[in-house]
Amino acid sequence: MHRLRRVDSFVLSGLVALALLFAPAFGVSAGQSAAVPDIDPHAAVGSKNAPIVMEVFSDFQCPACKTLFVTTNRQVMDNYVSTGKVYLIHRDFPLPMHAHSQVAAQYSRAAAHVGKLEPVEQALFDNQEKWEQNGDVDGTVAAVLTPAEMTKVRALVKSGTPNALIQKDLALGKFYNVNQTPTTVFHAKGQTFPYSGVMSYEILRNFLDQLGK
Amino acid sequence: MMQSSPLNFRRTIIWIGRLVLGGIFIYAGYAKIFLPIMHPRPPVGVALAFFALQVGSYQILPPWGVNFVAHTLPFAEVALGLLLIIGWRLRIWAVLSTLLILGFFAAVIRSYAAGMQINCGCFATPEPLTIATVLRDGALAALAVVMTVFTFIEARKPHPWSATQST
Repeated sequence: MHRLRRVDSFVLSGLVALALLFAPAFGVSAGQSAAVPDIDPHAAVGSKNAPIVMEVFSDFQCPACKTLFVTTNRQVMDNYVSTGKVYLIHRDFPLPMHAHSQVAAQYSRAAAHVGKLEPVEQALFDNQEKWEQNGDVDGTVAAVLTPAEMTKVRALVKSGTPNALIQKDLALGKFYNVNQTPTTVFHAKGQTFPYSGVMSYEILRNFLDQLGK
Repeated sequence: MMQSSPLNFRRTIIWIGRLVLGGIFIYAGYAKIFLPIMHPRPPVGVALAFFALQVGSYQILPPWGVNFVAHTLPFAEVALGLLLIIGWRLRIWAVLSTLLILGFFAAVIRSYAAGMQINCGCFATPEPLTIATVLRDGALAALAVVMTVFTFIEARKPHPWSATQST
């Protein structure tokens, strides 16, 4: 009986090893997110097992980042993230030349931790021209959150928790040689494609389809 | 009468232009098609679609134009590079490569002047478009123009090896 169990477990281990060896050949993988360091799950959307990972290094006060978010990434979320093809990671890369982008990053990161990344990201980009003039990041975020959520966000910002996460993103950006925003780093099938600047959705769609093949 | 040397100043410049520009064209096209900086190398379709992102970042062409350029330019670069080095019908390929380089130079100047923070996309590497890129492209454009002009001037003269020696 014991010998049979030992044989069974031996055969099972062999099958698992074979499956692991041949999985890549059949296009089976554990998802690209495993290869990407320091993922804050609160600041990411989509399935961790998606075959493509997109890391977007962004600064809320940068006009090109707004363009990328409004014209392209919203459509990527609707058509690729929601269908499990892309895991989209928001990375904060506030540039020193922008007076309020660090504060905006702190609020967005805190909002991510109460599950409200998307509406806050949308509000910050939609009202970029207003809060970059008056510095009212708090008011912009408060407009799209409930009072209870806003209390939690303010407490998180005050605690300094988002700062540590932003510093991690900045360090990772430097590791990738990010020197401008927006910079998008694509991961698929063990390959990494860094790209700086705004992308048209039409052209990006073609690239994502090729990556997913 | 003295026969002209096979390697006078103009012919030396033509040779340098053919080798430098031909080599650069071949490498630039090859890098866009095969992305040699990546390990493992991605399929050609992925590499060309990635190049399309870089062509699109210049915001000059509509999406269909971007895809057309991204899927033809790398092969045209390899072909032009080979034809420049081979030297057959040199004036045609010298003119075409000069026009192509002047087109690149105009796109680079326009993007730099507009303050667009994009990658050059010249050799399929994440190289930011800076003043160094503008100067490099300018130098290559100047070399291409001089090479082409010299090619036409030299074509009017009999080839030194085929010239008849007068007594």
